[in-house]
Amino acid sequence: MIEVQGLTKYYADLRRGRFVALDGLSFHALPGQVYGLLGPNGAGKTTALRILSTVLRPSNGTARVNGYDVVLQPSQVRRQIGFMSANTGIYDRMTAWEMVEYFGRLHGLPQAELTQRMESLFDKFKMNDIRDVLGAKMSTGMRQKVSIARAIVHDPPVLIFDEATAGLDVLVARALLHRVAELRQNGKCIIFSTHIMREAEKLCDRLAIMHRGKILAEGTLEELRQEHGENDLEEIFFQLISRYEQSRSPTAEHDLV
Amino acid sequence: MTWFDRATMNFTNVRLILAREVRDQMRDRRTLFMIFVLPILLYPLLGTAYFQMVQFQTQNSMTVLVVGSGQLASTSTPLIEDAAFSPQLFFDGSRGTELLKLELAPEGPPSGSDTAGDWAAEANRLVQTKKFDAALVFPPDFAKRVEAYRKAIHVAASRPPSPPASLSGGGGSSVEIPRPKIIYTTANERSLMACNRLTAVLDRWTEHVGKTNLIAGGMPAQAVRPFEVDHSNLAGESANKSANLWSRMLPVMLLLWAMTGAFYPAVDLCAGEKERGTLETLLSSPAERSEIVLGKLLTVMAFSMVTSALNLVSVGVTGCLIFRQMQDFGGPPAWAVLWLSLALVPVSALFSALCLALASFARSTKEGQYYLMPLLMLSLPMAVLPMSPGVELNLGNSLIPISGLVLLLKTLLEGSYMQALQFLPVVLAVTTVACWMAIRWAVEQFNKESVIFRESERFAVGLWMRHLMRDRDPTPSAAEGLFCGILILVLSFVFRSSIAPPTGFDGFARVTVVLQLAAILTPALVMAVILTSSPRQTLLLRLPRWKMIPAAAVLALAMHPFILALNSLVMHLYPIAPEMKRLIDDLQTKFASADLGLLILCVAAVPAVCEELAFRGFILSGCRNLGNNWRAILVSAILFGAAHGLLQQSINACVLGIVLGYLAVRSGSLLPGVAFHFLHNAMTVLIAKITPELIDRFPLLGFLVQPSGEGPAYQWPVYLFGGVTSLALLGWFTWFPEARSPEDVLQKVFEQSTEDSLSDAEAARG
Repeated sequence: MIEVQGLTKYYADLRRGRFVALDGLSFHALPGQVYGLLGPNGAGKTTALRILSTVLRPSNGTARVNGYDVVLQPSQVRRQIGFMSANTGIYDRMTAWEMVEYFGRLHGLPQAELTQRMESLFDKFKMNDIRDVLGAKMSTGMRQKVSIARAIVHDPPVLIFDEATAGLDVLVARALLHRVAELRQNGKCIIFSTHIMREAEKLCDRLAIMHRGKILAEGTLEELRQEHGENDLEEIFFQLISRYEQSRSPTAEHDLV
Repeated sequence: MTWFDRATMNFTNVRLILAREVRDQMRDRRTLFMIFVLPILLYPLLGTAYFQMVQFQTQNSMTVLVVGSGQLASTSTPLIEDAAFSPQLFFDGSRGTELLKLELAPEGPPSGSDTAGDWAAEANRLVQTKKFDAALVFPPDFAKRVEAYRKAIHVAASRPPSPPASLSGGGGSSVEIPRPKIIYTTANERSLMACNRLTAVLDRWTEHVGKTNLIAGGMPAQAVRPFEVDHSNLAGESANKSANLWSRMLPVMLLLWAMTGAFYPAVDLCAGEKERGTLETLLSSPAERSEIVLGKLLTVMAFSMVTSALNLVSVGVTGCLIFRQMQDFGGPPAWAVLWLSLALVPVSALFSALCLALASFARSTKEGQYYLMPLLMLSLPMAVLPMSPGVELNLGNSLIPISGLVLLLKTLLEGSYMQALQFLPVVLAVTTVACWMAIRWAVEQFNKESVIFRESERFAVGLWMRHLMRDRDPTPSAAEGLFCGILILVLSFVFRSSIAPPTGFDGFARVTVVLQLAAILTPALVMAVILTSSPRQTLLLRLPRWKMIPAAAVLALAMHPFILALNSLVMHLYPIAPEMKRLIDDLQTKFASADLGLLILCVAAVPAVCEELAFRGFILSGCRNLGNNWRAILVSAILFGAAHGLLQQSINACVLGIVLGYLAVRSGSLLPGVAFHFLHNAMTVLIAKITPELIDRFPLLGFLVQPSGEGPAYQWPVYLFGGVTSLALLGWFTWFPEARSPEDVLQKVFEQSTEDSLSDAEAARG
């Protein structure tokens, strides 16, 4: 469903000069699976997901989404995905209904089908009372709901959630995770990036622990636990990263603790 | 370009995006205010304010201190009656007298002083301290002298043989009249106005006194003004005056408002979308980037047109209502509506695309606002300068984007349709090309990750310097290339303006060589060594295929007639200032007597090496990282042109720069360009040496060159042969694969998006 092979991305900035944001990333995710990208800030999660959603071009390597190549067939790829980013991407001067409708129509849904689907989505997410609320006036929870509705209005086989729970309170985050689990049951292939261990533990079928653009470990939660002889994901995560930092510069002090 | 491919473009998406953006803007109070409320309120308010100001200026009364007025009672023509100027000195009688309120200084010294002469000093003080707007000081025996003069005329007139003219010169009583003085200060607007009114009144009074004198001398008063001049304006006074005003004002307003109207929506549509994080979502939707840009462009254009149109309507209506009340003004001509609305479409398209491309750089709306000023600074002179008096629409200025359009509009509004029609195709072509380039630029900005996802970085000079040194590429970046070009321009300008123009040939040679070495070669070499990891690759220091060097040399000879022809065309279009021409002719005569070897060294050899290293070496290599070879060639050619101080030379040099850039790109080496450059410059020197006498001695030369008043010109077979050879050689160079920059290759792959070019991309990335 999602196949990523040797994905590499270079950036240049003043502080770091030319640096590698993604360094030969490879993984694959299947339908009915939540694939978690777990990593600290700056690990390259957002870059990877932006490449998968064809917003950025990779410097090297290939990625296929539902069989389509992100570099060579970007238009087809975009029809397969629903993308939701950390900042929810809500227009200030559009109502909830207009926003979902806009993206439904960009995806080419016929009006009748779109209206029907939106009605059922708005019922399911209990959004009928915020239909006519402008984006600027929405609470974070509302924004999150609208953002999900917008991402799944065209019923895509692949969903990409980039730090979707960042900045949410416990209740809203919980509701969101619940929805993601529901989508998995409907057979969607979901990529979910986060830096919160508990979410990853609860939700993800497979996990990749990322650091400095590389995958340090990959597998199901059980596999990771067995491999590292450690039950707590946070502990595994910590060990992996400190070991990696040690190997980069053995003498340096690492302020990970 | 594939980005605006009609076949793949989904116009439903464009319409959807357009509809959304328009609705979005219509819900923004700031936009609504800028577009609808401001123009409707602004002009009536401005008009009323202006009207009131004019009223104030014409109706506000000024206070004037009159010193020494007591003696005036004895003059036969009254100036002051009942402590006011005599009504007969004003065209509008008693109303005029109210505008100048007089205060007559009492006889004797001012309080606290003991001499009458102190009144002048006192008047100065009173005007300075704004107690009075102005003061009028009559010298003590002014009236007595005026009367004495009149009497002298009367006496002279009664003695027939001696004419009154001998009054002051001959043995008669010579009367010199001391001058009255108006004390005022230009530092004060009211004082200046009072002075003007006083001057007018005194002029009329002087005329009256003169008439009385003539009558006293037994001559008719009419002798002062024996006749009046009648004016006959065919356009009618008011129509002409207002058409002139409107034809200057409306085109500039159209432009300015089209730009402002485009700017704010453009910033909101680009930077605003980045700021709210919605751009990423939109880019990951099925809408293609070209569709997104087109949708946004149409939105911006719509708002630009509406803003401009509403402002023009508002100013027109205000003009009709308010100026109608003024005598010699009328509203704008009725045809203006048609011309202005026709011009609105290309103007809006141009500015919308420019604003959109600029705004796509901005990370936030706040940052976006900063970009308005530079855009305004660049466009304002292009819009306003053509409005200076005496500038007429001609082929030269119709070739300048924006300025040409403004002049065309002005010509149309003045009603000179034939003149406008003559240059319409040129202006239309220039505007279309400018629009197309701006739109292309906007689309490209949206394709660049570095622009769309530009992240804010902390900027520190130290970090930046370290970055420059540490992350050196084999060739300079586009920004470094452009910087080098601008540095060269600045250095040459400073150098040229800080030294005195050379007088002899030796001086000229010294100045040229120093300029080439210090201002052109040095920056390029230093920057190549410091900023690039391979100065050799940057400066194209490699051997080309050997055939390319003779080919470039022959091309220089073959193209020379055309470059000369272009030169005379440019001189014809943009005539050189006479003073400049004299300087150049002067220089030419000095060349004639100079040593030929030395002349070729400093006019051909040194520039060929220095300028090629700088412009085709460092600058072109940098510009090639722009991602498109033709654009790189064009940018380096424009810089090359600008480095030649004179506008007329610059155009020529720019065309040469394109050929030289093309040679450099095709051959991957600097040498063919150096050969071309050297021979071209050398030919220019040599052909000037061909005199009729020389042709008489070597008749064969006459088949190639004919002497003419403007210097020697080529014969037509040379043009024919040169044209064919040039085309053949330029075609020959296209056979060689051009070396592409990695960015260029990636761009091509991205545009084509085909399987087979993936290997190219892979190679480029490796």
